[in-house]
Amino acid sequence: MKEIYNMLKKENIQIISKVKDWREAIHVAVQPLVNGGYCEARYIDEIIKNTEKLGPYYVLCENLALVHGSTDQGVLKRQIAITLLEEPIKFKEDGYNVRVMVTLAATDSDSHMEILQAMSQLFSEQDSVQNILNARTENEIYDLFIHATEDK
Amino acid sequence: MVHSIMCCCGSGLGSSMLVRMNVEKALKKLGASGISVSHSSLSDAAEGAADLFVVGKDLANFVKELPRVIILDNIMDKAELETKLKAEIEKE
Repeated sequence: MKEIYNMLKKENIQIISKVKDWREAIHVAVQPLVNGGYCEARYIDEIIKNTEKLGPYYVLCENLALVHGSTDQGVLKRQIAITLLEEPIKFKEDGYNVRVMVTLAATDSDSHMEILQAMSQLFSEQDSVQNILNARTENEIYDLFIHATEDK
Repeated sequence: MVHSIMCCCGSGLGSSMLVRMNVEKALKKLGASGISVSHSSLSDAAEGAADLFVVGKDLANFVKELPRVIILDNIMDKAELETKLKAEIEKE
């Protein structure tokens, strides 16, 4: 069975209309993983603290943030969550507008490679980025991510 | 000679792994073999840990002391990486 089926559950995908600032964005993005028991609640605060220290290191490109902290910052089981924001948020003033937050709870440094490959593929093609941004339902987002791992 | 490349980010889990996958692809494309590529957190980025380090521009300030570093403006941009990697490898 492909790793993505273990790491991505439909209940951890959400479409949210807006958040008031980047801190709320982190809270919203990580909350499904807290609710599902994949990480402790402190994972949220640790990521916020990391951001205050290092800047938003997880914003990868226009529209995409790979929200994550370290394995020792409260991660319990490996999993990802996906949040699509209808209104973009900036994590710093001169930063990118972000509408997709992929939240990663990683238990080691390698086992989530398949999912990152899928993400990298999705976001290197303008059409597939647009498909995610246009998604109206959680199911659509789920299918796009699953599909990205099947292309190879 | 570059024998080892370490890609670094804040946690050593996310963007560093993405960059590592892209570095491996770029090296293959450039026909450069015998170079080991790893990904790690910034705290592992120290002189001697690798011959060449790759980081995103947000973290440029944290790697000022390292002798050989590639700073990426856009860590998802494979073309930028390839150009900069080629220049570094061809230095010798």
